[in-house]
Amino acid sequence: MKKILTVLLAALLFVLAFASCGGGSGEETRNEESGEKVFVYGTTGYGVEMGDEGLNPHHNYSGWSAVRYGVGETLFKFSDSMEPEPWLATGYEFVDDVTVKITLREDVDFTSGRHMDAEAVKECLEHLIQVHDRAPGDLKIASIEADGYVLTIITTEPTPALIHYLCDPYGAIIDMEYGVTEDDNVAGTGPYMAESVSDTEITLVKNEHYWNGTPKVDRVIVRSITDGDTLTMALQSGEIDATYGLPYASYPLFENENYQISSCATSRVFFAQMNFDSPVLQDEKVREAIAMGINKEDFVAVLLDGHGEAAAGAFPDNFSFGNETVNAPAYDPEGARALLAEAGWTDTDGDGYADRDGEPLTIRWLTYPGRQELPLLAQSAQATLGEIGIRVEINSTASHHQYLESGEFDIYASALVTAPTGDPEYFFTTCCLDASAKNAGNYHSDRLEELAKTLHTSFDAGERASLATQMQQQILDDNAYIFASHLQMSIVSRSSVKGLAAHPCDYYEITVDLDVE
Amino acid sequence: MKNRRTADPAPGKGASGRKIRRDHTRQKLAVFGILLAALLLAAAFSTYLCPYDPYAQDLSVSSQAPGAAHLLGTDQFGRDMLSRVIAGSRTSIYSAVAVVAAVTVTGTAVGLFCGYMGGWIDTVLMRISDIFLAFPGLVFALAVAGVLGGGIWSAVIALAAIGWPKYARIARSETLAQKEQTYLMAAKLSGCSAGKLIYRHILPNIAGQILVTAVLDVGTMMMEIAGLSFLGLGAKPPMAEWGSMMSDGRSMLQTTPWVILAPGAAIFISVAIFNLFGDTLRDYLDPKRVRDQGYEGE
Repeated sequence: MKKILTVLLAALLFVLAFASCGGGSGEETRNEESGEKVFVYGTTGYGVEMGDEGLNPHHNYSGWSAVRYGVGETLFKFSDSMEPEPWLATGYEFVDDVTVKITLREDVDFTSGRHMDAEAVKECLEHLIQVHDRAPGDLKIASIEADGYVLTIITTEPTPALIHYLCDPYGAIIDMEYGVTEDDNVAGTGPYMAESVSDTEITLVKNEHYWNGTPKVDRVIVRSITDGDTLTMALQSGEIDATYGLPYASYPLFENENYQISSCATSRVFFAQMNFDSPVLQDEKVREAIAMGINKEDFVAVLLDGHGEAAAGAFPDNFSFGNETVNAPAYDPEGARALLAEAGWTDTDGDGYADRDGEPLTIRWLTYPGRQELPLLAQSAQATLGEIGIRVEINSTASHHQYLESGEFDIYASALVTAPTGDPEYFFTTCCLDASAKNAGNYHSDRLEELAKTLHTSFDAGERASLATQMQQQILDDNAYIFASHLQMSIVSRSSVKGLAAHPCDYYEITVDLDVE
Repeated sequence: MKNRRTADPAPGKGASGRKIRRDHTRQKLAVFGILLAALLLAAAFSTYLCPYDPYAQDLSVSSQAPGAAHLLGTDQFGRDMLSRVIAGSRTSIYSAVAVVAAVTVTGTAVGLFCGYMGGWIDTVLMRISDIFLAFPGLVFALAVAGVLGGGIWSAVIALAAIGWPKYARIARSETLAQKEQTYLMAAKLSGCSAGKLIYRHILPNIAGQILVTAVLDVGTMMMEIAGLSFLGLGAKPPMAEWGSMMSDGRSMLQTTPWVILAPGAAIFISVAIFNLFGDTLRDYLDPKRVRDQGYEGE
């Protein structure tokens, strides 16, 4: 009798506990209570790990946040086909190889109240090249002159990609008189202005005096949610209205009429850099065998569920110097095994892994979990390389920079937007040259250095594309880099959200068109 | 029912009531003991029990639901979940047993030594153990595993580093209690050496409680190792380990739930077996129960 009662009570408790969990979504109440339109955006793309915390465009990658969340705007912006078109500027003209004249819009005000003219833009750009790490090397600005709404930029050497570089989010124009507040807030010209900024959340309110229309949403909250499952559940529960960086595994949950998925191929590539300081990788044949031992097609089709495309080179197909123009080693386990045997690596002790002089062939694969695709790539490579006799030890850690510095890796797999400005030069200057900040494997090629010099001074688009193809082929022929796949960037949102679409450049997200019905 | 309640405290029927309880304890001990042995054997011979190679990826059968070919389905990489769960039992159970064995031996040795010797060495060692006890266990283990880098052995070392003071404390207090017993005085008077006293007389008398604590701890340690692996500080891919398997599968909880439920259930079942066995063992070795038994025998 007592026992039955206990069981019944326990069952009742259980039911009550679950009933309280299943409460309605908080979304409706949120909007009604305050009487204003609120849009909550959950993203994996914001925060310290991504290097884009805060809104100060002159710091690391924080310009991406300024542009993504509708605070900052650049002089030129990219069209859907990644061609620069006017934004805060109305046009430009190359007076000679080192001088460009840019005319500005005359109807733009900063959210601080100041009017934007050439003088304000000059102050901003001068501060940018003074403090930023990548900008001075890209822009090569010698001096800037301001006259009314005409800005004249003189570069130290011919800089054909200058207009492209000005589209980079670090070129977002902010009011330097307002400056950068202690919490990394700035006064930009975009449809939204930040009310509060932290490393994990930004609260934005609409800019009533926006020059290009009236923002439709009163308040936008950008929340950094780095865990994919939390993001999935937050979208399901209605805690957030849209997401960036949702794990592919969750897509089937949102492929219905209550949600919409906006996808777009980007130049973000998942790629592996070989460490040329590692003794075992100095053998060209081993590098080639590794390149032939990675099954990119299956990785994309199965592990990414088709949300991407297998890569050959650094740039996706929609570029004139994209995948189709280069040749990369195809997946060929037999050929790879033969190459290893040629290099003297065979399995003599019967453990399934190749060895030479009693030393097993082991590769330390360094990567990080911040991009969910990277650990998948690592495990996939571990299996396919294991088949050809290479033992792969995976080190997937958020503190990957530490291992990079100490050189404790053989292969470093990471994700990078190779053409954030639509121009090929950025990738090579960032990753492949002697002077590159992110040439993790200390790769060096005389020919590549030469081609890079030519590329740097070439104004002709056709020639630039051809050079980019040659340069990619060079690093592929040296088996210094393996490009696994290009990311398909997707924004998943509730169907009530309008005007939010993925863009190939990966940094236009919240615009004046955003609306919640 | 009413009858039983009033009858219980009655001295005459108490003996039969106790007898029933004792029989249950014995049966329970046997049942859980068999289950435990089965679990340990399965883990030991996991290599032969796996229907598939737990590490072989086959992307053509990625994320398949449980069915005839794959009883527990497959994971994202097309690896058979049943094989991985079985293979994982070895890692998960034996690393937990290794941790407990290490902390039991070191902790007991330190405790016996301190309890018997006393003096400044006792004070110093006990203060050190206090320092370790003051840390929140898993947080300290996280820090140690973080410093050592990943790998299942770092997790084992980290948990062992934090686990021993508990045993030192128990062994020390028990030793102190035994020291006062007359039999020990007698042994001492008859010329027993300190080593022999500790090893032959004190240790057997305190072993019961330490054993029970150790068995109960295996379950806890399994959870903690799984926890560390879940956080990426234990087993490294592709090693099959229940915690890291759950971590790998957590993004698929809603789409392919079997990849997380299978290792989760494995953890639940084995932790439950260890704990139930430990509980029953404690009841069985309970001095009060043994004394009652003696009373019944008369």
